[in-house]
Amino acid sequence: MEANIANIQHFSVGDGAGIRTTVFFKGCNLRCPWCHNPEAIPAAPITLRYPEKSEICGRRMRDEEILADILEDAEFYAASGGGVTFSGGEVLLQAEAAARLARQLKALGISLWIDTAGCVPADAIDALLPLAEAWLFDYKSADELRLRDICGAELSRIEENLTRLLSAGADVHLRIPLIPGFNTGEGDLRAIGARLQRLGIRRAELLAFHRLGVSKYDALGLPYPYRDIPPQTPEELSRIRQVLEEYVQISIEP
Amino acid sequence: MTSIALLREEFRAPRGKFTPSYYRYLGLRDHLHTPQPILRAYGIEALFSRSGAHIHRQDLIVGCTRGASYAGPAEAVEHAKRFVASLGRREFWTNDSHFAPDYEYILTRGLPGLFADIEASRARHAADPRRLEMLTGMQIALGGFRRLISNYAAAAEGLIGLEDYDEERLSFISANCRALLNAAPATFAEGLQLVWLCHTAFMLEERGAMALGRMDQYLYPLYAADIAAGRLDDKRAVELLSNTFTKIPSSDVVNICIGGMDRDKKCRINGLSRCILRAVRACMSPGPNLSLRYTPDLPEDFFRECLESIGTGLGYPALMNDEINIAALSRMGYAEEDVYNYCMVGCIENFLPGQQPPWSDGRFDAPRFIDYVLNEGISAYNRSMGITRRPCEEIASMEEFMNLLCAELSQGAAEYCATFNAKCGGISQEALPEPFLSCFCKECIERGQDINNGGTKYPSAHGAVLMGVATMADSLAAIEKVVFGDRIATLPELRDALAANFEGYDALYAALLAAPKYGNNDDFADKYAVWFLDFLASEFDRYRTPDGGRFYVAMAANVQNIYAGQRIGATPDGRKVGEPLSDAASPTYGRDVRGATATLLSVSKPDYTKAACGTVINQKYSPSLFRGENLSKLSALVRTYFARGGQEIQMNATSRETLIDAMEHPEKYPTLVVRVSGFSEYYVRLAKEVQLDILSRTQHE
Repeated sequence: MEANIANIQHFSVGDGAGIRTTVFFKGCNLRCPWCHNPEAIPAAPITLRYPEKSEICGRRMRDEEILADILEDAEFYAASGGGVTFSGGEVLLQAEAAARLARQLKALGISLWIDTAGCVPADAIDALLPLAEAWLFDYKSADELRLRDICGAELSRIEENLTRLLSAGADVHLRIPLIPGFNTGEGDLRAIGARLQRLGIRRAELLAFHRLGVSKYDALGLPYPYRDIPPQTPEELSRIRQVLEEYVQISIEP
Repeated sequence: MTSIALLREEFRAPRGKFTPSYYRYLGLRDHLHTPQPILRAYGIEALFSRSGAHIHRQDLIVGCTRGASYAGPAEAVEHAKRFVASLGRREFWTNDSHFAPDYEYILTRGLPGLFADIEASRARHAADPRRLEMLTGMQIALGGFRRLISNYAAAAEGLIGLEDYDEERLSFISANCRALLNAAPATFAEGLQLVWLCHTAFMLEERGAMALGRMDQYLYPLYAADIAAGRLDDKRAVELLSNTFTKIPSSDVVNICIGGMDRDKKCRINGLSRCILRAVRACMSPGPNLSLRYTPDLPEDFFRECLESIGTGLGYPALMNDEINIAALSRMGYAEEDVYNYCMVGCIENFLPGQQPPWSDGRFDAPRFIDYVLNEGISAYNRSMGITRRPCEEIASMEEFMNLLCAELSQGAAEYCATFNAKCGGISQEALPEPFLSCFCKECIERGQDINNGGTKYPSAHGAVLMGVATMADSLAAIEKVVFGDRIATLPELRDALAANFEGYDALYAALLAAPKYGNNDDFADKYAVWFLDFLASEFDRYRTPDGGRFYVAMAANVQNIYAGQRIGATPDGRKVGEPLSDAASPTYGRDVRGATATLLSVSKPDYTKAACGTVINQKYSPSLFRGENLSKLSALVRTYFARGGQEIQMNATSRETLIDAMEHPEKYPTLVVRVSGFSEYYVRLAKEVQLDILSRTQHE
């Protein structure tokens, strides 16, 4: 029994409550041009050629291997109220493997959070629903056409899955990545806010734009359109926050 | 302060250079016919009483060394210095500095009490002229100290009415000093003033790294009484403490210890501990070296405040695991009624205040000994010799290699202890008495004996500071894996590669680097760190100091690992000729690549109850970890590490300066990680403009 894994990262503090280990599943069905983990998009192994050395990203890991790696930090999870976060790539494209690992984690009493873009078949959500303690759910845009053309994502499916989670009473942490030129204009923000309100979302977390993935694009030999786009200034962030707060409660990732 | 006022203050300040030997000489020259304890006491008496008492305009608690400046003829200075030097003095290895006085005793008895105790001891030892001489010396030195206090009172009174000086402050100073002349301190301010004047006296004596110790315990009764009586609030306590701490020179290492458990195993954190933490934080100076004795029941809010203080960039307090230190000191034979009262001197060295002679330690450069095993006992690079005579071609297994290495280390430890004992035991204790310092040890007064000559309850302890634990663990793991495991190279090939500093051995070098490294929670390498401490602690415990004390081990090399590395050839872990040995007890920098949890899981494996002197684990974390919600994650990280048996952790928030330096010198920061949600990347891999994004993020936070 195996899963296709890009990376396992210990002591993650930005991916949910407490001290967590983040398992990055490899392969994604979206093509967001700003993605900061481009090496995790293709399902096949891929080579990153850094100036100082080359690294291959992606390997099939046995369940036991993944669990052993996760369990090393069990005492830290217990002390901090932390656990494991499955991220990616898109973890829910490997829902079967994820659910298999999740059942073992549940048996061990280890908290599991799922970090997803939500553009996945409904049964993938259903498979993890009883096993995950909480969900980090990306909501990038309320503009159906733009989402389809730029990210290759299907808004209706994302919203159906979000509704599915909410109506099942899941603990959903909605997150909006702020991408200059994509979703930070006032009209875009108001559309997102109104949509979230309609979906019954009360609060959302903003992820400020960053271009830290640039060295990965270089190492992959891929073009990176955001190379010259600076992160939002504090003033810009507070403008965005102000607009969205008319609709939902907003926090910003520290 | 206006510039005119500053000029006036400068005008009133004593002129010339700090020249304590001049004042000491004035006391010595009239008493050259007297026995050593009395002669030296007269030198101290003159130093304390005849150098001036200088008061700064902002002082609330007084005491500085500016009064010991002298602007007289250079010939006088040279003569005095030469003569004082000719009488000899102790050095670090001969127990001169790094001492924690018994301030609890000093505060309880006060100056009059100390004089009375010396008098009572004289009566008991009336038939013993040697002890009487020592006690007379103590009386004379303490008399000088009494004059120092009255000089400060008089100086404060003399400044009253001068413009730019605050009469209220001066009256406060004068009242506190006058009170100390006649009785034990009755208020927190008087207690603090007495402690600081004692410390000032040590600075005049030119002692370094004298500890203030457990201030939150010995000053607590005075603090609590003042608070209860409404004479003091925490704001004023912090003001008085920071007024004191700002006078600690940034070049000194004055250890202050808060917290810790008592025999009932309960945490002793109190309101004063918090005031001390805040006062040290307010100073933002490296002089007051604050240590927290961490106990599992330490209140979370207090711990978070400590972490916040660390995160300001100050780095203090250093966090010490109380359970481990108490177990380690108990192993060294200290009685249960004493061991719970330990504090630290210098950086981290565990010490029983007023119960042992001043501390000494030296460095043991362990990785040097690998060279001998590989080269039939001769190190060409280090120009030294070991005991191995067997050609390395004949070493057929890891076990044989380890046996030879153990024999080398054992011999190295024996030579280290013999050298130390010859140096420390070679001086005449009678010729170098310490009549003032001995007053800070109750037993010395009771017994009428010198602090270095039988006066203390416990004998001297010496710290053998083991350097390069990770260089050793990584080297041995590499030998086991590459030579005896995967058989990528033979031992002679490895020897030749090291001699060539890996040049022409690219494949072997890559294999050595790829072998498991300490700090990744991999027992393959970590087991050698466990062995390292176990083996060397037991080796050093076979020896005793000249007065019968123990050799403790430590793993805390300051920057000595850099200098030691310069004298040691390439090592099998991939370290090249002259590169630093691994720092303190930390993994080799840049080789613990699996995150903070894996690092701490590895470094909590050795049995630190065998490192009675103490260890240092240096860790750098992102500043965002020291804020908000992340603080509780950081707290859980450290608490778990301590629960697993870690002994110490010294954390630092990665500063803007570090980030800027890493832009210029990426090779120095291979593991500096940038983290945001769902992502992490090595900082040094980022393009310049993106590194600037991080910098501005750090600034905003």
